Amino acid sequence: MPAFDWGYIWEAVPDLLDGLVVTIYVSFLAILLSLTVGAIGCALRVADHKILSFPVAGYVEFIRGTPFLVQVFFIFYGLPSLGLTLSAFWSGVVALTVWASVFHIESFRAGLSAVGKEIQNASASLGLRSWQHTLFVVLPIATRSALPSSLNTIVATIKNSAYLQAIGLVELTFVAVDRIAYDFRSTEMFLAICLIYLAVVLLVSAAGHRLERRLNRPYVGR
Amino acid sequence: MNGPIQKDVGITFSKVNKWYGALHVLRDIDLTVHDGEKVVVCGPSGSGKSTLIRCINRLEEYQSGEIKVGGIAVDSNRRNIDQIRRRVGMVFQNFNLYPHLTILDNCTLAQRWVRGFSRSEAEERAMHYLKRVRIPDQASKYPSQLSGGQQQRVAIARSLCMSPEIMLFDEPTSALDPELVREVLDTMAELAGEGMTMICVTHEMGFAKQVADRVIFMDDGAIVEIAEPRDFFDNPKEERTRKFLSQILH
Ligand SMILES: Nc1ncnc2c1ncn2[C@@H]1O[C@H](COP(=O)(O)OP(=O)(O)OP(=O)(O)O)[C@@H](O)[C@H]1O
Ligand SMILES: [Mg+2]
Repeated sequence: MPAFDWGYIWEAVPDLLDGLVVTIYVSFLAILLSLTVGAIGCALRVADHKILSFPVAGYVEFIRGTPFLVQVFFIFYGLPSLGLTLSAFWSGVVALTVWASVFHIESFRAGLSAVGKEIQNASASLGLRSWQHTLFVVLPIATRSALPSSLNTIVATIKNSAYLQAIGLVELTFVAVDRIAYDFRSTEMFLAICLIYLAVVLLVSAAGHRLERRLNRPYVGR
Repeated sequence: MNGPIQKDVGITFSKVNKWYGALHVLRDIDLTVHDGEKVVVCGPSGSGKSTLIRCINRLEEYQSGEIKVGGIAVDSNRRNIDQIRRRVGMVFQNFNLYPHLTILDNCTLAQRWVRGFSRSEAEERAMHYLKRVRIPDQASKYPSQLSGGQQQRVAIARSLCMSPEIMLFDEPTSALDPELVREVLDTMAELAGEGMTMICVTHEMGFAKQVADRVIFMDDGAIVEIAEPRDFFDNPKEERTRKFLSQILH
């Protein structure tokens, strides 16, 4: 077994950066879309009508109860036979969106339940319309409570994009695995991509925590 | 029309009934509260006190009879509800402040969106009322940074910012530590002294004696007895009132 070679990592950096761009791009789209689907899904999930809430509850259970890799394979290999063929990239965006959205639905729902019913009476007695109450009271409070767990989901979305190498998407992990197949430098390559993932995740978490601190100032009772 | 102008009476209930499913929670309520009058409502838990006052600003619906506030019927008509809520302020047991907003913003939100005041007008008015409840120095803090008594006074100020003619209080001191009750009752007594029409659900009998023009005793969804405080406490007519008073006075 050859000695650990930093020079080899250095040589691989351009290829790894190409992969990182794809990782970031696919994750970024999936994060935006999953937050959107999460918000809409949550609104349906808490609706009074079972016709609206029931399908969403089923969707959440189904996605949470199945392995992510199987979902990826289903979307990439399975959907074409149902008449929907997506590229590896868009299969990845869809799979990550579907997976992450259910966790956002659940964290938004927990956020909403943190608002409490009684405060609505205060708004009503002050003459605020229910849309005003929703916009200025419910959403800000719910967002603050949902933020920590949605941040977890966002970070997990980035990490789960690594699964997409299995359908041939040339993202960070794919680049590493591909090079290892030729050069057998698995220690260097896996360490390198670990560090890159870690850097991205730390950046995103730091940004998230800053936002959290800003928004949560009121709750810090000091 | 000639003759003296008949000023619209504050609040009238005529034969009001309300049910929650099969549960009859308001039974044939007849009540008139005049402008400037202060009424204290008491009664055992579950007797319908909260429901009674929550029907006045339509936080609850009722199924039969009629409630009028300043001559306007409290019904499903959106415009009526808006007009009534403009005239009627309400203070709750649990304060119900907005936890994500500063004290100042708690007091300006509805002013700006319901009354259309500019930010600076709204803030000026808010500071005026925060001074009146004696906590102007807390304006930039958040509710969680205040004591319960201070929070309840903010809730009162927030309501007053809307210039209500009538204030409803639903057990405003029962969530407070005993040593904080006084400051809230004092604020309410001051308000009463300035001529505000008030309906207070409370078991603070000292407050009732000091401030109320009339005391109402409710039991099982019905008004059992209405009397001036002195008669009510010294000479209650109904057996149920006597029993209730003996329970809460000792
Ligand atoms: N949303 C609701 N659904 C069903 N029943 C209700 C509801 N709200 C209140 N009730 C019932 O209506 C009755 C009157 O309740 P209300 O809250 O008006 O009593 P209260 O006199 O204010 O009591 P407390 O002193 O405990 O506040 C009670 O039996 C209560 O259980
Ligand atoms: Mg009550």
